[in-house]
Amino acid sequence: MSGELLRAEGIGKHFGGFVALEGITVSFAAGQLTSIIGPNGAGKSTFFNILSGALTPTSGKLHFRGRELNGLPQHRFVHQGISRSYQITNIFPDLSVHENVRVAAQALTVSYDIWRNRARLTELNARADAALEAVGLSGRRAELAKFLAHGQQRALEIAIALVSEPELLLLDEPTAGMGPEETKDMVALLERLAEKRTVLLVEHKMKMVLGLSKRVVVLHHGRLLADGAPDEIRSNPEVRRVYLGQSEGYG
Amino acid sequence: MTSPSSGEAVAKLSSVGLGRLLDQRVLLSIAVLAVLPWLLPSHALAVNVLIYGVVVMGYNLLFGYTGLLSFGQAAFFGAGAYFTGIAIGRYGVPWFAAVPIAVLLSTGLAAAIGIVSTRTRGIYFSMVTLALAQLVYYVALQASSFTGGENGLRGFTVDRISLFGFPVNFLDPVNKYYVLMAFAALAMWFQSRILNSPFGAVIEAIRENEQRARACGYDVERSKLIVFMLSGAISSLGGCMLALHLSIVPLDILHYQTSGMIVMMVLLGGARSFFGPFVGAAAFLILEDVISVWTPHWQLFVGAIFVLFVLFLPKGIWGTLLDTLGVGKARP
Amino acid sequence: MDLSLIIMQLLSGIALGAVLVITALGLTIVFGMLGVVNFAHGALFMIGAYAGLYLASLTGSFWWGLLLAPILIGAFGMLIEFVLIRRLYGRSIDDPLLLTFGLSYILVEGVRIVFGSDGIPFPTPPQLIGVLDLGIGFFPRYRLFVIALVAVVLLVLWLTLEKTRIGLIVRAGARDPTIMQVLGVDIGRVWLAIFGLGVGLAALGGVLAGPMRSVNPEMGSLVLAEAFVVTVIGGLGSIVGAVVAGLMVGISISLVALFAPEMATIVMFALMAVVLLIRPQGLFGIRGRTA
Repeated sequence: MSGELLRAEGIGKHFGGFVALEGITVSFAAGQLTSIIGPNGAGKSTFFNILSGALTPTSGKLHFRGRELNGLPQHRFVHQGISRSYQITNIFPDLSVHENVRVAAQALTVSYDIWRNRARLTELNARADAALEAVGLSGRRAELAKFLAHGQQRALEIAIALVSEPELLLLDEPTAGMGPEETKDMVALLERLAEKRTVLLVEHKMKMVLGLSKRVVVLHHGRLLADGAPDEIRSNPEVRRVYLGQSEGYG
Repeated sequence: MTSPSSGEAVAKLSSVGLGRLLDQRVLLSIAVLAVLPWLLPSHALAVNVLIYGVVVMGYNLLFGYTGLLSFGQAAFFGAGAYFTGIAIGRYGVPWFAAVPIAVLLSTGLAAAIGIVSTRTRGIYFSMVTLALAQLVYYVALQASSFTGGENGLRGFTVDRISLFGFPVNFLDPVNKYYVLMAFAALAMWFQSRILNSPFGAVIEAIRENEQRARACGYDVERSKLIVFMLSGAISSLGGCMLALHLSIVPLDILHYQTSGMIVMMVLLGGARSFFGPFVGAAAFLILEDVISVWTPHWQLFVGAIFVLFVLFLPKGIWGTLLDTLGVGKARP
Repeated sequence: MDLSLIIMQLLSGIALGAVLVITALGLTIVFGMLGVVNFAHGALFMIGAYAGLYLASLTGSFWWGLLLAPILIGAFGMLIEFVLIRRLYGRSIDDPLLLTFGLSYILVEGVRIVFGSDGIPFPTPPQLIGVLDLGIGFFPRYRLFVIALVAVVLLVLWLTLEKTRIGLIVRAGARDPTIMQVLGVDIGRVWLAIFGLGVGLAALGGVLAGPMRSVNPEMGSLVLAEAFVVTVIGGLGSIVGAVVAGLMVGISISLVALFAPEMATIVMFALMAVVLLIRPQGLFGIRGRTA
């Protein structure tokens, strides 16, 4: 894969008087793992919500595979090939781990069928199993999602986003709330995922981000601050200034 | 990983076995309903359990499985009854055509109410469904040339029906029960199919996490509308059954008090279980019967019992029973 | 059409709207602050009417009834919050609705036991009997009083919310309850007070409505539907919404009654449906909370 997959052109978002994002123009190449970083309040979440269709921008355009996405309702994004996970675990608590992923897989094929027995949809079962295998949750497939440990729920988070086999995977702080060991596991998973698809990451943990990403985009106060390879970002004086005093990093 | 103790193993085995048995939920339910007239003190009570069980089962699809607390189910229960009565009484339509027509028209009503109400969420949805159902009540009150207004709809007795060429005296309580039970069986089979279908998984996902369901690619608004209509259709069949049973349709069937009673029944029985609605209907009706022997103020006690259920037994009678037995997610 | 007739009908509508406003206000304030919709609101309105009637006959004066009934029933409301509703915080948002629904059964039947099922007339206080000559027509004194009183209550409420410390706490708490706890405010007491206020307003509505309709155990059920319609149109949680919507509904009902009396009640539901199609969160509601 090569070439530009997703392009944001002049994206802006304001809520009433508050300007969350302004004039973000950035393009994401296919096949790369790009991280979006920035201090709290930089607008990362808002930007992410716009890229995944949860919010509509108040200005600017979004292009995916050359096509404009504006006005597309949120539930159609996955059908285009864009899938996301959430920073605060957002699963289906009272469904089994397997069903969490299977129902996500089902969304792309059949929805309004009230007649057939869904146990017959073996292909969906297989895809769900494959996604669980990829994130290491196969052993827990029959358990209710609400009973999983935090790290396992984060893995389930990703499995749900993964099962639609998206071209573009948006992951919102996948290591949120994780300790060093779990983060190492997650980083290994992310590396594996990035081999086969384009991954866009929002993260806080600087060291992890710089080690993992092909490219880093920095947001600050709703604007684009820097955009380049990890080494460039690391030595960028603006970025250092903004992050002064913030020393995070596991992994 | 420690191996389970023998006690646990037995419990697990029996719950698996029990679980497999309970998977045949439609057949089991029909079996129970078939002997119901002998389990309950009166035939009339058994017929009411059938009727309200079907109405509540339809409601359960909306509330228990999709998580939408509507307070307006009476509109579809009543619509089914009124349309059946009007078709038979006013237009001379034979009963076997009147019922499908009534269900179809009631589903249309559900579509209309659904389009407006599914635009809202949470508590709004509850309030809006109550208000829109009350609108139906007031329209029925005013359209008295069709509905009989305050006095209710009369003049459409079904006394003789012919089933596949055989004449059946519908006024015989036993015959009536089993004919209505056939309706109930149909409704149950339909509901079970829906629950087992891909769409059945969609509504549960919506209940569990509407936002995530949308992000996964489901058109949540449209799905809610569809389940609203399906729920209305099934409950309206209960209304058809009521009309055939009573030969009158009282106006109060459309009042939100009736909606509230439906809500109570589903909670007493156990939302989100297959047979819970019938258990809940039976519980409510038996309570009403038993308590009104002592006092005309049975509503006070039923209200108090309901409050206690909300506080301490939210899974209802059947739901709690299933939980105690350790039966898994199939929830018969 | 006679203009003065229309104006008189408009005034009637405002009087009707005033009662709707005061009732809907109680509902919307409790939701705004506690996130709870009180299904027993109509029943408490009805109990307010009975309480007002009872106290009035006990003391021989309508005015004591008007003053004491909302206070007493409001206190009863606080008891309900403390004993019952408080147990449900943290559970599903549907649970308080279900619980208060069951409560309404208990309350209505309780009233039937104590006062019987028949309607009781609520005599208009002697000082307000009769009509006032407004130049364009005669208008019942009592209804003018209702409009005036509701206006005063609204003013007091507005002043309290905007100008006092308590009001600040209420407004801030409605936006972000967790901040309140961080700031050391006893959230339990605030909830108690707000719930009591909401119920008290319902009771006040009941007392005011008493002389305009007969008092019977069923009067709460229509009121509940009306209160729901008004709060949905206005936007749940919005005080301004309750006022605007209440007046809108009252006037609409009144004017429609001129031309087509049988459509009068239906019109308010139709209004609600129209608003929902255009703006599901209500005229002044916030998107995302409930729509």
